[in-house]
Amino acid sequence: MKSEDELVEDVLSGDHRAFELLLQPYRQGLLSMAYRMTGNLEEAKEVCQEALIKVYRYLRRFKKGRSFKSWIYRITVNSAYDSLRKKKKDEYLVESQKKIDFSAGHDPEKQLLNREIKAKIETCLQNLSPKEKATFLLRDGEGFSIQEASEILECSSISIRTHLSRARKKIREQFEKINFADAKEVRR
Amino acid sequence: MNCKKVRRLLPLMAGSEIPKSKILALKTHLEECPKCRQEYDSYNLSLEKTKEWLAKDRKDWEDNEWKQALRRAIKDKKPEVSPPVSWPFKKVWAYSFIGMLVVALTLLFIIRPSITQKNMGLGSEKFTQEQAQLFRRSPEESEQEVVSMTLVSKETGLKIVWFLNKNFELEVKE
Repeated sequence: MKSEDELVEDVLSGDHRAFELLLQPYRQGLLSMAYRMTGNLEEAKEVCQEALIKVYRYLRRFKKGRSFKSWIYRITVNSAYDSLRKKKKDEYLVESQKKIDFSAGHDPEKQLLNREIKAKIETCLQNLSPKEKATFLLRDGEGFSIQEASEILECSSISIRTHLSRARKKIREQFEKINFADAKEVRR
Repeated sequence: MNCKKVRRLLPLMAGSEIPKSKILALKTHLEECPKCRQEYDSYNLSLEKTKEWLAKDRKDWEDNEWKQALRRAIKDKKPEVSPPVSWPFKKVWAYSFIGMLVVALTLLFIIRPSITQKNMGLGSEKFTQEQAQLFRRSPEESEQEVVSMTLVSKETGLKIVWFLNKNFELEVKE
């Protein structure tokens, strides 16, 4: 089993198969991250495609001995930011959030616990700013350490703690709000 | 530790990102304060549920889609041959250097008039010596019979000296 640094060397010497082997462990993680950031699967695939192109193109810039995982996540998060910026995604997210809130109330399958939890958490995530969302997803979704997250997002670990703290606070508040709303509905 | 400070740290405590030095104080407070304890439990619950869902609801590519995406990434492109040279200095250094340069230029601008006066100003020591030398070259001539006019450009330092005889006729001097 070759190490990531060796696979990088192979790709740089023209072995296309090595590129697939190099990225295989991250195919789910990258797509999930992009999906949570953009809120749309098709868009997430486009973001990942853009990231893959950049990874291949700028592979020579990757410094050996450093974490390849952090490097490709940084590229993916930056591509997601670009995508959000280009399409004024923030406005779209507010709209889609409204749709979620509305549909959740009238969905006949709302009774199903999984769907309900899914809708709640989706709503919670949509309320975060892109930076908070990226920090939260990297730390609590992908399991990166604070230090790794600060490298990926190119900011200080203090900033990461602040964003993470805010994100968790917002999520908790949303959770409580939704629970409270559900309790009211049940009482009726 | 008071409630306000504890509540500020609760989101990080739920994810075990609190320094060891503070954990004991936090735990002691949580045992004594039911409101903070309740908030802490609420953080734990929301975080646990979200993490659980994020782990369960992971998106994946279809195999052919993934292969196509990789092919597109490789297609018609090669990894950059020579990486661009990265800026070796930190931004702070660059800003400090620019700041120092501005200060130095400002000081130079303030000092400059005195320098120029010293080198080119009328009545300066240098100018008087040169003028005296010109007169010394023609000792046979009477000083009263020759008048000199000098023009000095302040910008370029160019000097033009005219010698006129007693009839105010221009005289050529070597």
